[in-house]
Amino acid sequence: MKFLIPHRYKKPGAIMIPLGFTLWMLMQLGYIKKILVYFFGEPELNYVSTVYNIVNAVAAVIGFFSFLAGIFFITFSKERVEDEMVQRTRLDSFQFAAYIQLIAVIIGFLFILIMGEKGESRLMFFLAFFIILFWISFIARFNYILHVKYR
Amino acid sequence: MKNIVREERLKKELTQVQLADLVGVSRQTIFSIEINKYIPSVVLALKLSKALGKKVEDIFRLEASDKG
Repeated sequence: MKFLIPHRYKKPGAIMIPLGFTLWMLMQLGYIKKILVYFFGEPELNYVSTVYNIVNAVAAVIGFFSFLAGIFFITFSKERVEDEMVQRTRLDSFQFAAYIQLIAVIIGFLFILIMGEKGESRLMFFLAFFIILFWISFIARFNYILHVKYR
Repeated sequence: MKNIVREERLKKELTQVQLADLVGVSRQTIFSIEINKYIPSVVLALKLSKALGKKVEDIFRLEASDKG
């Protein structure tokens, strides 16, 4: 395969995914600001509040892009031995991930239609979820076939 | 498709890792070929038959369900 990165990127990817996701979720749930307030107190001045917002935004960017970079490293790094079975499993796993994502999209949009306005407010969440679901499905199936089923 | 890769490998006293190294694939590939979960390409089948010292048609056989 021409477009794969070296195998050594797998470990960093496996570390970046949970750490990046955790940091991103902490920001989404407002815990970054809570941690800042706990250690540095409430922002009484405008510029302190701005600093808190900047730290929050930086945490979101670092977390989100670490998560995405981790997914990229895991998905597109070579196996120790790249042979025809690994390549076929990679192709099958992409197909599997496409099926899972399509089914999830159909269910998700049906949910939004049924829930009406309540569902619409969750649209951004669903869209992000669908994108991530594709890659997580691929990684899960690919590694299950190679390292669990045919170990 | 059925194969006798495992039997021939054991006759040659090779481990799955050794046979995998001989033909340039992973151990998992040899394992999945032996349990008939993976059908190798022509190139890999030829490499395996060469490594095991047998003809391809002696190692890999079509089943009734394969015949079109």
